[in-house]
Amino acid sequence: MSSVPAMHTVQTRPRRRAPRLRAALPFLAPALLAYVAFVVFPMAESIRLSFFEWSGFVGAEQTFVGLANYVRLFTQDAVFWTAFGNSVIWVALSLVIPMPISLTLAVALDRRLPGRALFRTVFYVPGVLAAIAVANMWRWIYNPRYGVSEGLAQALGLERLQGIQWLGNADIALFAVFVAFVWQAVGTNMVLFLAGLQAVPPELSEAAELDGAGAWQRFWNVTLPSLRPTMVVVVVLTFIGSIKVFDLIVGMTGGGPAQQTQVLALWSYQQSFTNHQYGVGNAVAVVLLVLTAAVVVPYMFWTARRER
Amino acid sequence: MRARRKTLISGAAAAALLTVSLAACGSGGGSDDSGTTLTYWRLSETNEATGAAFAEVLEQFEADNPGVTIQVEERSTDGHKEALRTALGTSGAPDIYWSWAGPGIGGDFVNNGGSLDLAEYYEEYGWASRFNDVSMSSITQYGGYDGIPSGYSGAGIYYNKQLFADAGITETPETYEELLAAADALKASGTDAIEFGGTVNWHLMRLLDNLLETECGADTFDALVRTEASWADESCVETAFSEFSTWSQDYLIADWASLDDAQANQLLFSGQAAMVIEGSWFPQVLVNNNVDPDDFGVFRFPTGTDRLYGDTSNNYVSATTEHPDEAAAFLDHLTSTDSQTTLSQASGSRSVNVEVPLDTEGGTALDATWGEIFESSEGLYAFNDQNLTLAQTTEYFRILNAVASGDIAAADAGPQFQSFIDQQS
Repeated sequence: MSSVPAMHTVQTRPRRRAPRLRAALPFLAPALLAYVAFVVFPMAESIRLSFFEWSGFVGAEQTFVGLANYVRLFTQDAVFWTAFGNSVIWVALSLVIPMPISLTLAVALDRRLPGRALFRTVFYVPGVLAAIAVANMWRWIYNPRYGVSEGLAQALGLERLQGIQWLGNADIALFAVFVAFVWQAVGTNMVLFLAGLQAVPPELSEAAELDGAGAWQRFWNVTLPSLRPTMVVVVVLTFIGSIKVFDLIVGMTGGGPAQQTQVLALWSYQQSFTNHQYGVGNAVAVVLLVLTAAVVVPYMFWTARRER
Repeated sequence: MRARRKTLISGAAAAALLTVSLAACGSGGGSDDSGTTLTYWRLSETNEATGAAFAEVLEQFEADNPGVTIQVEERSTDGHKEALRTALGTSGAPDIYWSWAGPGIGGDFVNNGGSLDLAEYYEEYGWASRFNDVSMSSITQYGGYDGIPSGYSGAGIYYNKQLFADAGITETPETYEELLAAADALKASGTDAIEFGGTVNWHLMRLLDNLLETECGADTFDALVRTEASWADESCVETAFSEFSTWSQDYLIADWASLDDAQANQLLFSGQAAMVIEGSWFPQVLVNNNVDPDDFGVFRFPTGTDRLYGDTSNNYVSATTEHPDEAAAFLDHLTSTDSQTTLSQASGSRSVNVEVPLDTEGGTALDATWGEIFESSEGLYAFNDQNLTLAQTTEYFRILNAVASGDIAAADAGPQFQSFIDQQS
């Protein structure tokens, strides 16, 4: 029995696809044109440039150097592996820390509470601020002489937290910047989780409650499984957003001190636009592309299969 | 059929709109029936009087040249560097731009085709006799006539007179040993001896540059920055980095790595730090920060070489400009005796035009001291972010920060930098 619909599908699809595609093409063309011009072409150009030595000036010669830029990155560049490691740490922390906070906030604010709308707004607002504004704000918070962090440490008599170089100490600067990221990111993910929670049928939780399930059991066995599609979206968006982190680092440390908070996206930019080594800069960009594609492409196949 | 035609028309309209939008994306100067607009990029003007004088000079040019308008865009130090590196060589480049002249910044633009050779205009306007040898050498150092002199600055150690007196320092240091003794005295009196902001890199760089000049001497310093001598083999390099490490650990403000130059300078203004290396432009910065310039003195870093630490800057015409004649006319006006007199009187700084005398009336005691410093100096050693290539500068910054924070030993710094230079060549 099950093979019959499959046969129908196989027989009818070729006949119907071509006319539908022809009809859709004029509608798709402008977007497709823009996509090719602004996404596909620059991406291909970036890959091509990673095999060349070029200063970035229009009149300057592009010299083909094969894999030399990659060899230099992997074996000689004193900053690349620091940037690579920091990017990996950043992605891992982004998946582990802000997501549970966002989920907790979403579950809490999904209930009928007084001032619920206000709290939702308060937690969401940092997400709509420009990252560079957030960076500026947190730089002042971390200012070792006049910052809120120092003021709080002194007011509370926390001697161990006084005089700390939050952004100047290579051992903690990356994590200090990450705190600002968490502050900004939790609200956006919270909204996604809230949307996911709206889609969870209340009957399921009520039935579980009638069966004697406690609050934790209902969350673990009913709510969380129902949130799985949202969770996947949040994980992928968090991964993409975190692996290309750039503006917060630029605004708060510029990659310093001594390149210890450098990340791949910023190192690609600095190699290209600061050092005028566009070949090496694009090689870093290609590494970033490969890392991102390794996660995003399977995700796209997975969602495509689900839609089918 | 009608629907398809409508779709095609919509698609064509969208494509046309896209094309028009893209065509409108270019910047830089342009011409139309109403005249020519020249774009001019330069550093933000912080001195109100100089800003007003510059506006007056522009106004005069536009009055003398009907139909030509100068559109000025100003940016901060790092923003200006970034903007130029991004735009030069593209259709978004300005017609004229101001830049530091050394090989690491201005030289990079010149070597990559970002500057128009102005040889014909030097001949037409007779510019060569308008400037002194130091200024002209910064124009011709790359083989052509790139740019027109804009200014030159010295940099020295500014100090808080009261803090020096409180520490029992009665004379400004004339040798490096005396400078170290002064730093020790300041430290003993409970004052941070020197301040720099580490987040911008180039501020703290000034200390290392001067220590290299002190320990290596003029010839070896020049050979090092031209990469004609090895940073790994010259023993003075390790000594300089070792001294730099000592200064960082013993005399520098503790939070240097968290502050930028402006934040760190506030510590000098408020009497929490005693010294900083700043340029001959700094008296005006003091005034802008409501600080009495008479509370401060300045002396040349006692390197023992008699050379002046500083830089030269030029105004360049972009190689992609469509209005080279108008740009040259503007530069002629900008460097003319009349314009330079107006600008020099407003800023109190030395003009690049040799016909313009320094107006010392109304200047501060610091300005007078700078006059003496300029007179007594022989030769120039430039800021190293202007001597080194862009990539070398980035690595120089990384290493100096790592040495200052104790992450790289002084003995490893020179070899690491030389290794980077070797990889690049």
